[in-house]
Amino acid sequence: MSTRAKRPALDRRPSNDRMFVKRGAVALAVVLVASGCAGGSPSTPASDGGKQKVSFLVFPSPNLPESYWKSQVDLVTKAHPNLEVELVAAPSESERNDYAKQLAASGQLPDVQIGMQDLTALEPSLAAWTEQELKDFLCPTCGAVNGKVVQLPANTQTIPNVFYNKKLFAKAGIAAPPKTYAELLATADKLKAAGITPFVSGGAFVTSQPWTAALATDLYAKAPDWMSRRRKGEVRFATSPEMKAATQKFADLAAKGYLDKRQIGQDYPKTQEAFLSGKGAMYPMGSWFAAAADASDMKADIGVFAWPGDDGNLRLPAFTGGGLSVSATAANMAAAKEFALAFQLTKENLDASVKADALFPAIKGYTPPSDTGPVFKSVYELWQQALDRQATVPPFGWEAGDAAMLPGMQGKFWSAAQDLVSGKKNVDQVLSFLDTEWEKSG
Amino acid sequence: MAVGTTERRPGHAGAAVRGSRARRRRWPGLWHFLTFAAPGTLVYLCLVLAPIVLSVGYSLTNQALLRPRTEFVGLRNYELLLRDETFLNSLRVTTILTLIVVIVPNVLGVAIAALLDRRGWLYNALRSVFFTPMVISSVVISVIWTRILADDGPINQALRALGVREPPGWLSDPDIALYSLASIVCWQMLGFCVVVYLAGLQGVPQELAEAAAIDGAGPVRRFLHVTWPLLAPALTINTVVLLISAFKLFDHVKVITNGGPGTGTTASVAFVVLQEGFVENRIGYASAEAVVMLIVIAALSVITLRILQRREVQL
Amino acid sequence: MSRSSVPWLRPLVALAAGAIFAIPLYIALINVFKQSGQVAGGVMSLPSPPTMDNLVRVLTGPDSLFWSSLRTSVLVTSLSIIILTVLSAMLGHYLARHGGWWPRAIMVLLLCGLMIPPQVILIPVTQVLKSFGLMSTLPGLVLFNVGYYVPFGVFVFSGFMKGVPRELEEAAAIDGATRWQTFWRIVFPLLRPATASVLIFLGVWIWNDFINPLIIYGPREGTTIMTGVYKSLGQYAADFGGMFALMFLATLPILVFYLLLQKQFVKGLTGGATKG
Repeated sequence: MSTRAKRPALDRRPSNDRMFVKRGAVALAVVLVASGCAGGSPSTPASDGGKQKVSFLVFPSPNLPESYWKSQVDLVTKAHPNLEVELVAAPSESERNDYAKQLAASGQLPDVQIGMQDLTALEPSLAAWTEQELKDFLCPTCGAVNGKVVQLPANTQTIPNVFYNKKLFAKAGIAAPPKTYAELLATADKLKAAGITPFVSGGAFVTSQPWTAALATDLYAKAPDWMSRRRKGEVRFATSPEMKAATQKFADLAAKGYLDKRQIGQDYPKTQEAFLSGKGAMYPMGSWFAAAADASDMKADIGVFAWPGDDGNLRLPAFTGGGLSVSATAANMAAAKEFALAFQLTKENLDASVKADALFPAIKGYTPPSDTGPVFKSVYELWQQALDRQATVPPFGWEAGDAAMLPGMQGKFWSAAQDLVSGKKNVDQVLSFLDTEWEKSG
Repeated sequence: MAVGTTERRPGHAGAAVRGSRARRRRWPGLWHFLTFAAPGTLVYLCLVLAPIVLSVGYSLTNQALLRPRTEFVGLRNYELLLRDETFLNSLRVTTILTLIVVIVPNVLGVAIAALLDRRGWLYNALRSVFFTPMVISSVVISVIWTRILADDGPINQALRALGVREPPGWLSDPDIALYSLASIVCWQMLGFCVVVYLAGLQGVPQELAEAAAIDGAGPVRRFLHVTWPLLAPALTINTVVLLISAFKLFDHVKVITNGGPGTGTTASVAFVVLQEGFVENRIGYASAEAVVMLIVIAALSVITLRILQRREVQL
Repeated sequence: MSRSSVPWLRPLVALAAGAIFAIPLYIALINVFKQSGQVAGGVMSLPSPPTMDNLVRVLTGPDSLFWSSLRTSVLVTSLSIIILTVLSAMLGHYLARHGGWWPRAIMVLLLCGLMIPPQVILIPVTQVLKSFGLMSTLPGLVLFNVGYYVPFGVFVFSGFMKGVPRELEEAAAIDGATRWQTFWRIVFPLLRPATASVLIFLGVWIWNDFINPLIIYGPREGTTIMTGVYKSLGQYAADFGGMFALMFLATLPILVFYLLLQKQFVKGLTGGATKG
């Protein structure tokens, strides 16, 4: 300490004062210049007096960047020049529901939203659609809440399909995709023995995809009315044997190391990237993944099969809904509805949504364009096959309205899936947790 | 406030100042209050105090914004809280976070401040380096660290290069994620502690240290018996600031883990309150949680402040 | 003494500690100048060759997200901290100059405000702002910032005010100056270190805040810059280069602001830490 120099005390010398003023002035100048620059940019387009303004909540994602939404909206406004649409972006794909609910709670819900999932919670904030407005939709009552249709049932998605990497299958000596659950386990085992991660998994909703698949073949195939009985309180998660068996199957996949539990901290875009860069052989995911697959270099090497049940019969979880909804308090209801219907029924819009997000439009008389990619073609074919054999079941956790779990439960289902994979909770604990949360939501 | 406004007479400021002598006798500083203090107090009253009162009110109802059929339910929300696994778990998470975030930056902060307690460009530059994370948004910090701790991030890449076959899932393993999160917050808060301790060290008269050195005290003993006691005010500031910051931790949780992995592994109280309030829309219930949170943080702050200030006096 | 016998030890250890501490900052910085494909590769390696593409992409994005949110943030932050400095300096002056139960009660209430987490009041705040018609508006957000941060400003100013001799003000009053003139011409200029502390701390907090603007400012009027960063996480999820460039640009203004006022600010802190 002896070498330490004395520090000047807290004096206020005039030079410091000047210094301070100078620095303050520089700081202020920086601020002004910055805001001046910004002021010059076209941030707020001049509004045209004759136009009807509609705000539209969308969710930019790697599949659907801001530019996609812009061009989709432009298609509509070209045909409806009276509309002026302002895009509002949700933070991310997996958080769009939370964000919409938060906006609704603080009275700021944009006029039109796309792809809302927790319809029961949002129902009081949404406008109902009339039978006349729904006449062009294949399933006009899909996703109804208390009998009210609040979201245009615009397209069908199959959730999940099992996408697989043909090259990695070949490398592990697997000739054909599995037809029964026993074969699926054998396939996973072979892959693991060859040093390949059998299933690509991820955070948020991705973790729960195999669970949804197992529930389709083991629960919904046997008890199609399970959800409505749960809503009536006739069955419970913890005491339902089919629920328990399906959940046990999912937990076993993790216990056997077929799912890498380190991947549950990974976000959705990274998970997709992991499969597309060959970091795992199978990827249970919704049909929308076909778009990203077709846009990638390995599209020719990706195959698709339906998650097999014990008996090997085809069961494909499919869900119709997920379109646009309109806020009950929209400033200009007629314009908002006009926009929503135009968005869902214009052929160009639907074609674009098929290509960018691999949706299956559920619109009367619509057929997808012929120039779609190979992965989309095989997913679409699988769905058509399931329709022919009447083998579609609801995708557990993705249903909408009266057919869905109670509000807020979807998020709990997703996080419960992570608890199972990480081993934090066992099957019984997870199922009784879901029952408890169900009571809280009711 | 009520008294102030009823006594206020129309007229201009100059006249009021001249005619305020009689009032001043009854209410010392009334005019001073009205001109200097009232605007700030009023905004604070409307946007902080009134909302607290409203929160207490909401907490006694079953209000849910999307279902407007509010009823008075008395203390039922508080009873439910005591049995709510999610809320009790969030208290546990926040306790662990707070303990780590109060202790680690304090300890490292003193050490680094002692190390940097010299003059010269090197030490000035290093001081800025340590303080920089404090100036950066938690969102940005969170994204940077998410990238670093990812399974294909630099840490696990390095571990794999060293031959570790299965490096830990820093943010995906429920046993580790909470500690990873706490470490990130510690890293961000460290600079604040360093700067406050450095400021404290500047106030330590060097004669004292010299005298101790002449008495034959080694550097460690000199630090413990001479310097450390004089850093008591800095310790108080750091501890209280860290305590409050840790207790209201939200941004990092939201961006890095969103409460996961799994159910509530890293869901802090602040996170759960906002989740209940703005996502699940249970306003009444969320308000009850907020009130409990407020009571706990108030009690903790007062106790900590009392203990540390008593220590300051004794030293 | 060990210290004087190895004079190079301290700078070496200090440098090492600083280097380890700064690794995350280094990683963030180099990724700004890497091609997006490179980012996913070696995270620690220097960009070769460095590219400005990421910055250009963010600055010239078709949605002009960066520029419009920069403008919002500059407005919100500068308005908030200017109003806060003025109001809390005056409030601090009143509290420092008067005893009695009434000022003391205000002081205690304000001190409580220092530890209130925003989450506790956010739900009712939206109701209060709605009833004033200020929800989802820029003035509403500024007003909330003022109310929420005024305790901090008062805390700093009233502490410093005690170090300003009363006699100065009394002398000015004898010369015929009003209290208002005395305060702004004589007292306030003496509070510069405190003013710098308040400006920096509040400037940094308000600039970096993302959840309050996310909820209060609403979705339609645009966003503040950090809310913009938060909301872009989804869009940039597969474009690390763009993400880091956006974060770099969003941080730069406040970092420059801090560096400009840094010296005064350290003094402000020093006064607080040693005088209590």
